[in-house]
Amino acid sequence: MDDLERTQRWMQSVITHYGGVRDGLASADARQLREVSAGNLEQIITRSKTLSAEARLGIYAGAYYARLLECLRSEFPALLEALGGALFDQFSFGYLQKYPSHSYTLGRLGAEFPRYLAETSPPGGDADASTPLFLVDLARLEWAVNEAFDAPGPERRPLLNAADLRAIPPERWPDATLSTVECLRLLELDYAVGEYYSALRRKQAARPPSREKTWLAVCRRDYVVRRHALSRTQFTILSSLAAGGAIGDAVSRAAADCQDDLDDLSSQLAQWFQRWAAAGFFRQVTLPA
Amino acid sequence: MTVARLGHPNLGLGVGLRTVHFPYILEHWPAVDWFEIISENFMDSAGRPAYVLDQIVERYAIVMHGVSLSIGSSDPLDLDYLARLKRLAQRTGARWVSDHLCWTGVAGKNTHDLLPMPYTEASLRHVAQRVRIVQDYLERPLILENPSSYLTFAESTLCEWEFLDRLVERTGCGLLLDVNNVYVSGFNHDFDPADFLAGVPAGHVVQFHLAGHTNCGTHLIDTHDGQVIDPVWQLYRRAHELTGGVSTLLEWDAKIPPFPVLHAEVLKAREFIETGKLPVVDEAVTSEAADSDSAAISNPVSFILPDVS
Repeated sequence: MDDLERTQRWMQSVITHYGGVRDGLASADARQLREVSAGNLEQIITRSKTLSAEARLGIYAGAYYARLLECLRSEFPALLEALGGALFDQFSFGYLQKYPSHSYTLGRLGAEFPRYLAETSPPGGDADASTPLFLVDLARLEWAVNEAFDAPGPERRPLLNAADLRAIPPERWPDATLSTVECLRLLELDYAVGEYYSALRRKQAARPPSREKTWLAVCRRDYVVRRHALSRTQFTILSSLAAGGAIGDAVSRAAADCQDDLDDLSSQLAQWFQRWAAAGFFRQVTLPA
Repeated sequence: MTVARLGHPNLGLGVGLRTVHFPYILEHWPAVDWFEIISENFMDSAGRPAYVLDQIVERYAIVMHGVSLSIGSSDPLDLDYLARLKRLAQRTGARWVSDHLCWTGVAGKNTHDLLPMPYTEASLRHVAQRVRIVQDYLERPLILENPSSYLTFAESTLCEWEFLDRLVERTGCGLLLDVNNVYVSGFNHDFDPADFLAGVPAGHVVQFHLAGHTNCGTHLIDTHDGQVIDPVWQLYRRAHELTGGVSTLLEWDAKIPPFPVLHAEVLKAREFIETGKLPVVDEAVTSEAADSDSAAISNPVSFILPDVS
């Protein structure tokens, strides 16, 4: 390790330390790189006429968490509203320590936040952990919205429409595959957070969501992200299609998993597919040769 | 002899493109000379930001300004990032591509801050080698900005402008001279900003940045949250004299005003150059910021957030 790398690793470990500069300097990570304390820090960092070396390093340390907390607050506005600023920041602070950014873009800063919330319990959380669980679902929904916003979508390219679907010969439907748009996100949630999310985004008072399995599609059309409520059967079919499965396999799997009557299911399929096509879920249909 | 601005045109007076202004721009197509985009905000975009950018590219000159190249890091260069940067430059017809003389992280992490370099011969060799690689890859000179900084290293043997001068000499790169950053760093490191301006190779300055900052009493923070103050305008005039005038851009990233206010602020540059007169904006000391290091965030980030129905 050359001097530059040693200096940079040392500085990064100090300014990102959760306890601040003084604790950062004393940490094992920093000390194995540069054996300095606040008292002899000027061996590495010069002082200015007005600030000590420690205070100057502290400007970077303070800005590190402040900048990234602000970014997370912007990426999860409903979660922020649900938790309140202090608790949100407490979670974010822990998250940034466990999952620091490894990306060139802040657009992925919050990608593991739902997972982090699932891995941790809030201070004072109740025994059955219902509070953290609905917050996990809320965070998953918010992140799905963020991803759907800027992923490749149905705009500016030919989109599968109802006529395209009708043009598929009935006997070819089972073998056909429908590729989904990249911005489609499918969520299976333990809590009914959809309305709760809407209320929080409007900054309205909202009762915590009930514990109830719900399924959602999040997709973009005309550059606006929309949420679509799904049944479990619909979710299963769309998940199979998104994974590249043929329509016949997707429907069979849904019928088996959800114990639906296949005839009843078949009678609804045309309507569902047309609705999903209108919502911009599908890019193209492929029929095997 | 170096061709002025490395042969790049003087685009006039531009502003940083921020999403909060998208609706205004799409409705009014304001008579701004050019826009600077944050590269990372658009390099992966396939949604509305990309759609809006494509419309803006048709009507305005675009310059790309990055915050994650991390040219000074001891980590390997991120080739995937460079590929994305090049694709965006091709898509937007960017007049030039800039980033900062800094490192943003090491050991695979990104602090998303513009961290200062030790100005040594060893780090000069390191940065020069990486600038050459980037320039070869992008097939164009890289334009590097002097960041605002809040500390200096005891091991430094060069001052910042000497480092930049030698870097230019070794690589032929261009400079984005942030006049506000010169002022901020001068205050924070006890040097005369005029020495900085006199020390950088004027023929390689391709662009200026102007911005507001926060005075915390003991130090200045580059917050991009207000008007350009009078001493920075004075420095700007000196920089203009030294370079013969280059493309000038106003950055405003926090407490962002309506677009006409932003535009009017950069248009002051023309008035100032032509008449030497401006309404004086004195520097106020922000007491909250002076009380707390985290109250003012240096190098504020600008990122894109979704519209949701």
